[in-house]
Amino acid sequence: MSLLRVEDLHRHLGEGDTRCHALRGVSFTIEPGRTYAIAGHSGSGKSTLLYLIGLLDIPDAGSIWVGDRETSRLTDDERTAVRNEHMGFVFQFHFLLKEFTALENVMLPMRKLGRLSEEAMRAKAADLLGAVGLGDKTRRLGTQLSGGEQQRVAIARALANDPGLILADEPTGNLDHANADRVFALLSDIAHQRGQALLMVSHNPELAHRCDHVFRMQDGVILP
Amino acid sequence: MSPALLIALRFLGARKRAMLMSLTGIVFGVAFFVITQAQTAGFEAYFIKTILGVNGMVRIEDRIQSTRAMTATEGSSFAIAVEGSVKYIPGVQHAKAVTDALKGFPEVTAASPVIRGNATLIANFREYDTKPYGIDLGTFLNVSDLETQIIDGSMKAFGESPYALIVGSRIAKRMNLQVGDSVLLDGAGEPQRFRVAAVFETGIDQVDRERVYLHLPAIRTLLNKPTGASFIQLNLLDPELAPALAPRIQEALGHSTMAWQEREKTWLQVFSVLRISSALTISTIIFISGLGMFNTLVMIVVDKTREIAILRSMGYTRADISRIFMLQGGIVVALGVTLGCAAAALGTYTLSHIPIRIRGIFASDHFVVLWDPWHYVAAAVIATVVVLIASYFPSRRAARLEPGAVIRGSSS
Ligand SMILES: Nc1ncnc2c1ncn2[C@@H]1O[C@H](COP(=O)(O)OP(=O)(O)OP(=O)(O)O)[C@@H](O)[C@H]1O
Ligand SMILES: [Mg+2]
Repeated sequence: MSLLRVEDLHRHLGEGDTRCHALRGVSFTIEPGRTYAIAGHSGSGKSTLLYLIGLLDIPDAGSIWVGDRETSRLTDDERTAVRNEHMGFVFQFHFLLKEFTALENVMLPMRKLGRLSEEAMRAKAADLLGAVGLGDKTRRLGTQLSGGEQQRVAIARALANDPGLILADEPTGNLDHANADRVFALLSDIAHQRGQALLMVSHNPELAHRCDHVFRMQDGVILP
Repeated sequence: MSPALLIALRFLGARKRAMLMSLTGIVFGVAFFVITQAQTAGFEAYFIKTILGVNGMVRIEDRIQSTRAMTATEGSSFAIAVEGSVKYIPGVQHAKAVTDALKGFPEVTAASPVIRGNATLIANFREYDTKPYGIDLGTFLNVSDLETQIIDGSMKAFGESPYALIVGSRIAKRMNLQVGDSVLLDGAGEPQRFRVAAVFETGIDQVDRERVYLHLPAIRTLLNKPTGASFIQLNLLDPELAPALAPRIQEALGHSTMAWQEREKTWLQVFSVLRISSALTISTIIFISGLGMFNTLVMIVVDKTREIAILRSMGYTRADISRIFMLQGGIVVALGVTLGCAAAALGTYTLSHIPIRIRGIFASDHFVVLWDPWHYVAAAVIATVVVLIASYFPSRRAARLEPGAVIRGSSS
């Protein structure tokens, strides 16, 4: 069974004059332990697709299967629970909570899931920060870290609950070349090592090609 | 600690100064609310205690007679007031019978007949109009606080002499009277000589200015009233029983009977209006703090829009987000009420020791306060309701944010 399968997704965005058909029937499957890139021109519908898959948005038509569960028509709370357990997000901006330290930021998804003790959460968060190369900066607030470091904290946070799928929307879009390279390597290594799937939107053709598979999008469809 | 509480605490810290302002407002609001209530209720309670000590809980006065039975006393000098089909015959002619009949009311713990009239007091070549009260000392002390109102001389001296007098403090002052002085009282009969045995002060201006107490037999000769009483003053198990009991006694005994609540209605209304208006005035402090709180929370929601979106994306539900903001309100109000109540207790204690000389409706030399836990409960409830309402709307707004739209908006 595949990790995730989408079938004939359609999505219209906007109202009235600005209304546009952003996704016009997208279907594909995602297997565990593999990395996928979504490439395409600006406005081709990459983010729209990613938010649908991440259950942050609801399709107008089509279905999204997470494992054997059709999730696109679940209630808001049910979709939220699926996100908590099965998905990790990395966005262009890190969105760290600035009143929390790096360690505490990574612990936030675990606290919500509530399966680990405080101690275990701490240890696991420290491990994850170690894995992204920030083992010595766990007590820093977001504001006391560089842009690349903040993005790495966001990656550790996305991994907190061992999600099957990591969704990343231009995770390196805000970083310089060296940092972008490092962040991408980290994401794809972790996905391969841990058997997690990575679905990444990227403008960077070089990074896209380093993924196991590339979906090319144009005008709301995936090119064959 | 629940994650929502943890996040709430950190978010509060992000707007420390604005939150401290709201908190201060709530602390002051709660404290002032309780202090003003303690003070107005204190004065009210003290006023009630004073008037009960002076005029008793219930008074049985004029006899009521229906007009049908009027012929019996027609032409008599007693028949004065006619009201509808009812006529009042002044006083209690058969005081003994009435007192005996009161045994059927177990709520009544004491009854004392009093004769009231007018007399001119003559001393030091001056004249002064007074209202002499003829009392039966043995029973009167059970229906009044006369004993504690004595400020000079003694009750014992009054008890020992049939022609002893207790005069009001303002009479004593105006007429320059000392304990032991000899005075003349001129009533309906022959002027009689009395000796001042004591001076009393109730604090009620009107009483201290015109009332003198003498023994019942003495007033009978003074006013030429060989029988009956002007009224019978009662003491009850509980002053709160009076309004229900008075009409029953009136019905059973055929005498106009009035409870203190009815008699002192005007003053009691003044006090309750005062108390309500001060509660409303002070509540505005709490309302304004609530508005401030609302403002601050809205700012935090706007400020934290992206954080809320990311929390939603990582698995926090709408209810969690709402809880985070309600908890911020909850924390501030819990702290505000706790500190406010502590400040209120301290303030009330301090106030009760501030000297202030009050005469007129009662006598006190310092602020009078009433310690009532309900004042604290009321303040806490008002503050809690205000702050929870103030937190509800921002929290709902935060919960309604669409994480996808927010993240899309800030990525492009
Ligand atoms: N709120 C909106 N109302 C109307 N149209 C919208 C709205 N948001 C996006 N669109 C349109 O939907 C289409 C897909 O947008 P989407 O954000 O998915 O593009 P993208 O491929 O992620 O582009 P980029 O590479 O610039 O991020 C675009 O044509 C865009 O103009
Ligand atoms: Mg995009």
